[in-house]
Amino acid sequence: MKSAPFSVASKLVGDAAVIYPKGYLNNLSGESLVKECGIYIGKGITKIVVNFSETDLINSIGISLLLQIIEDLKNIKGTICCTNMSKFLRDTFEMLGLIQYMVVFSAESDALEYLNTGKR
Amino acid sequence: MPVPSNAIPAEDFLNRESELHYLKGLSALKERALGGNVFLEGARGMGKTELLMQLHRALFREEDVVPFYYPFKTANQKGGYFAKDYFTRFVRQYLAFVKKESAIAENVAEPLSCLVPAIASLGLHWLTDCIENFQAHLNHRDFYWQLIAAISAPVTAAQKGGKPVTVMLDDFDAAEQLFESSFGDAHALISLFGESMQNRLCPHVVTGSAGALDALFTDHSLLGMTERMRLGPLPEDLAVQLFRTHLATLKITCAPDLRFAFLALLRGNPLYIRNLAKATWKMEKKELTEKDLVECYGFEVSEGETAFYWTSVFNRYVQNPTKRRAMVKLLKHAMESGGMEERGRLSIISGLCEAETASILDAIEATGILRDENAVFQDFIRALYMREIEGRKPGDVREKIESKYLSAEEGSCFELVIPMSSNAELVVAKAVEQIGINMNLDADFLNHLQLALIEVCINAMEHSGSYEKKVFLKFITQPNRLEIIVENSGRPFSLDSLTELPVGEKLQMGIKRGWGFKLVRSIMDSVKVERVNDRTRVIMAKEIKDKEVHP
Repeated sequence: MKSAPFSVASKLVGDAAVIYPKGYLNNLSGESLVKECGIYIGKGITKIVVNFSETDLINSIGISLLLQIIEDLKNIKGTICCTNMSKFLRDTFEMLGLIQYMVVFSAESDALEYLNTGKR
Repeated sequence: MPVPSNAIPAEDFLNRESELHYLKGLSALKERALGGNVFLEGARGMGKTELLMQLHRALFREEDVVPFYYPFKTANQKGGYFAKDYFTRFVRQYLAFVKKESAIAENVAEPLSCLVPAIASLGLHWLTDCIENFQAHLNHRDFYWQLIAAISAPVTAAQKGGKPVTVMLDDFDAAEQLFESSFGDAHALISLFGESMQNRLCPHVVTGSAGALDALFTDHSLLGMTERMRLGPLPEDLAVQLFRTHLATLKITCAPDLRFAFLALLRGNPLYIRNLAKATWKMEKKELTEKDLVECYGFEVSEGETAFYWTSVFNRYVQNPTKRRAMVKLLKHAMESGGMEERGRLSIISGLCEAETASILDAIEATGILRDENAVFQDFIRALYMREIEGRKPGDVREKIESKYLSAEEGSCFELVIPMSSNAELVVAKAVEQIGINMNLDADFLNHLQLALIEVCINAMEHSGSYEKKVFLKFITQPNRLEIIVENSGRPFSLDSLTELPVGEKLQMGIKRGWGFKLVRSIMDSVKVERVNDRTRVIMAKEIKDKEVHP
């Protein structure tokens, strides 16, 4: 566990936003993530990729906030993809039975392609 | 009932040579006005009674000083019965000394009248007169003179018989409870011993609770006549030697690598050492290991002789079962909070009114048990609390006590306190990371442990409403097990209060929170939540399998 200070970076790739949460995803940082996604949703973006490659740790509050984003996108018929999840992160979502409600890719490029073409 | 001749073999009575030597010479010192009486002080089980019995035996084997030993612990406190018992025992022990036949002292079934011919044949006519006088007081039902005659019998014997008498009064504080016909009807009968204690031919060696006797020697005619002798614990090496001796007597063999490290817990207390040795025999141990010692100890403090001993002490001071339970609660509270606080507040703990609570606190003070505070006593209280207050089964209680030491014995224990502040749980996660590295745990496995711990901590921070705003953590590591205890004050929490809905249903209902304990339960092998006084305690354990450890 590196537990770097949490930060969120993002970029727009075509019509999809790619978000990079970094560090420990808890209540405070989860709020930042929700806010960052909200900014894109506010701009009419309905395709979001969350790249977890630099997320060290997530707690249950972070998970609930992630579910919030999934629901927000669902409400606007948008899509969210999760990528570059560590084994630990994947196992955690699996333990909770949440993985089936998420669209997961091992690489960011695979997610972007899926969002572009609709094919996995 | 202790009988002087039941003393352990002198060679097994360790590290008390100087005390024994001093007490043996006490009569000579008192005759020359260089010494007086001795109040033998020391924690319970430290060997005060045994020292008296050794002194009795040593004097019995010689000719110069007559030993008289009287145990108040088992005495009937009704004055008339006490007087008869005290007098009869003295006569028996005196005759046994003169004839050098210890059996005379032990044969309590034989009436005193049967001893008169033997006394007469020895020419001890003054003793026959004493017996007749005492009988006359009995016949006249003269309570006061019965007591005086009994208590002064050693003085009379010393004056008439020409040999000083060393009087050994074991648990002398019980004499404060002497009464005439009903409890509390005759105060200060104990002061009748003052005359006898002042006599130059009769040094007295007394034992008893320091709490009770402090008051006695301060307010009483005995002030200034009595010196204190403190019996300390056996040094570590002698404690092991004594334990080995007991094991040899009981024919218990030891594993070759047994270091007796666990014995340090007994703090050189001969009673505890003996009881633990006996427990190994009762539990039919062979090739004794350190783990066996812990197991036998768990039995001892919960159901064995040590538990029985302390229960008897409790019963002596507090007879009412409800009050005894309250006493247990108060003692456990005192142990956990490092002492007794303001009396008024303690009635909340005891569950009784302030007056009743005060009487229990007085009894606790009189027993002196908080002064004698030691790990064994504390474990006895824990065991008693689990059994009587929490209603746990004996096996469960034993296991709890054992687990405390098995963990500490074979592994390590780390404690940590964190504030209930933002990201404080990450400090805990870092701590468990280092513990995991020490245990060579696999990184992925370790991440999950961190997550479980974080969840319990944030649950405490979010929901407890604690004014203390602290979370207390304890990590107990063993080669193949990790136990984590998380404790916080504030609002109670129970696993039963959690409702487990299927994930789909939960999401459909828009419920996004409540994943924490689901994670904890998935990660850990066992999760238990207890309420201890005003604190919630979460106990999590994880067995470490080979695949989760780096080679």
